[in-house]
Amino acid sequence: MNLLQVRDLRKEYRQPGGAVPALCLDFLDARAGEALAVTGPSGSGKTTLLRLLAASIRPTRGKILFAGQDLGALGEKATAWRARSVGYVFQEMNLLRDFTLRENLLLAAAISGIPPSTARERVLELTRRLGLENRLQHRPSALSLGEQQRAAVARAVLHNPPLLLADEPTASLDAENAGIVLHLLREICAGAGSLLLVATHDESVKKLFPRQVELRRAEGITQ
Amino acid sequence: MKRSVLLRIAVRHLASLPFQTFSVIAVVAFSSGLAVALFLLAQGLRLGVIRAVEPFELIVGARGSPYQLVLNTVFLQDAPVGNLSRDFLERLSQDSRIRLAVPLALGDFYRGLPVIGTAGNILEIRPSPASPLWLRPARGRWWEKDFEAVLGAGAAGESGLEIGDIFRTAHGTSLGAAWGGAQGHERDFRVVGVAEPVHGPYDRAIFVSLESIWEEHAGHAGEVTAILAYPASYTAAYSLDVSLRRDAQGQLIFPAQTAIRLFALLGRGEEFLSVIVFAVAACALLTTLLILYWSAATRGKERALLHALGVPRGDLVFLSWLEGALTLLAGALAGGLLGRAGAFAAFAALGEATAMDSHVPLTPQEGAVPFILLSIGSLGVFLAAMAEKTYDLT
Ligand SMILES: Nc1ncnc2c1ncn2[C@@H]1O[C@H](COP(=O)(O)OP(=O)(O)OP(=O)(O)O)[C@@H](O)[C@H]1O
Ligand SMILES: [Mg+2]
Repeated sequence: MNLLQVRDLRKEYRQPGGAVPALCLDFLDARAGEALAVTGPSGSGKTTLLRLLAASIRPTRGKILFAGQDLGALGEKATAWRARSVGYVFQEMNLLRDFTLRENLLLAAAISGIPPSTARERVLELTRRLGLENRLQHRPSALSLGEQQRAAVARAVLHNPPLLLADEPTASLDAENAGIVLHLLREICAGAGSLLLVATHDESVKKLFPRQVELRRAEGITQ
Repeated sequence: MKRSVLLRIAVRHLASLPFQTFSVIAVVAFSSGLAVALFLLAQGLRLGVIRAVEPFELIVGARGSPYQLVLNTVFLQDAPVGNLSRDFLERLSQDSRIRLAVPLALGDFYRGLPVIGTAGNILEIRPSPASPLWLRPARGRWWEKDFEAVLGAGAAGESGLEIGDIFRTAHGTSLGAAWGGAQGHERDFRVVGVAEPVHGPYDRAIFVSLESIWEEHAGHAGEVTAILAYPASYTAAYSLDVSLRRDAQGQLIFPAQTAIRLFALLGRGEEFLSVIVFAVAACALLTTLLILYWSAATRGKERALLHALGVPRGDLVFLSWLEGALTLLAGALAGGLLGRAGAFAAFAALGEATAMDSHVPLTPQEGAVPFILLSIGSLGVFLAAMAEKTYDLT
């Protein structure tokens, strides 16, 4: 049984100058525990696809089913569904600047409904694995880009989400740290039976994934 | 989401913009403080006047301004209108429509404290038939002979005089005018007692016998400044009023009524002041709304991020509201304290000059100030939440 089913998916952003075609994906099926690389040139819609899968935006056309749930039909329930089911590593990290690394992680855990004691243990374990255990009391502005990226990964995997989405999670990392991050993502995906999608244009990253989704630049929706 | 988590986020957000947060608190504190202070001053003056007037039912004095008569006899301030003759005092004392007539001779001072020549029957005054005697010695005794003096509770502290001490009185600069004569007096007074506090202007008084005053003002013997009159009945009071209207010398006033007319006069000034307070408050609220709106707007990206992490929109609006509410409450609280402190200082200055009891108990209107601020602030927060643009996170 497929955890994810995408059919005839189109996304256009509405702008004052007209609609901007951003994504075109006719078909995609994936099972729990699978790891996919989403590739394609810049502007081909990798980020757009991940945002659609996170139910942050709604498709212009087509359907996304996750565990039988039509994401386009979630409506008001999208936020609660996202808090529970999705771990998202942003391309721009997006840590909360007024909070320390530790607070950033605990806050995300609280939003996902993890009990505080579990959350504290999990934060220690993850930061140790990602080499961030000495940076817990620092704010994002005091962290290097690579440290911020690892922090963003830690935040996304805290609650072992069934759907793990990572947008260029290794863009700011050296080879060694990129290896650690990808290994962690793959491990959680395998251990928790999550579905992992990693957007990347890095050939060496792409090669690590058994399956790839290749996006092409979208054209306008033809009726 | 848990309210406690949202509260911690709100506090952190406020702390991360200390200057904005402080500005809002300061603006709100200043304007609400001004409103509270003016409200308390107006209210305190009213209460002070009501409390000061309470012991006096009727006041008979020479013809002239009734307000001035109240100022002279109730507040022991300002120059007396003129004197009443000995005949007049005798006639009134024997009038059957009056059950108690207490004469007052005002105009002399000891170091700024009013010296009141009066009769022994001042001890019979009761503010109302059921209440205890108004004036009683707390220490020592009441005077029995001329040139013995009893200090009001406040006068005792202010003058530093003790029982057994000797002092001399003098004319006040303007108050003594009605009595003519020399500035300083030659005779020694001896303190024989200190009165219980009456919580009003008479606490600053020094009580002596009428005869001692007369002896010091040769040529004015037998004259008095005013008579505190207690009528046998209401009808007696009105009948007396009618007869005095035909009298060439005297006038009768009902101090409570004069106070009410005084309030009406004050009221016009208060209206003017409240327009100013309203304008200040409106400016402060606009500033506050602007700052709240602006800080909510500048948080667009963070709010989008919290939303992306799974915080529902409703909680985000609550978060903005919480941030606004915390600053407004802090401002209102600081303003309430500032206003009370300001009014307290003003009353302390006023009390020093008049011994008026202007204490105002905590009023429901004061409690309403934070709620009014909160509801208007909430409006700003909701407007900001409505106007918020969706922010795309990548
Ligand atoms: N909010 C938006 N409004 C309008 N157009 C948008 C918006 N977001 C993305 N686009 C456009 O949609 C297309 C796909 O964008 P997207 O960010 O998904 O590409 P991407 O594959 O992630 O690119 P990159 O590799 O540079 O990150 C681009 O042409 C982009 O300009
Ligand atoms: Mg992208």
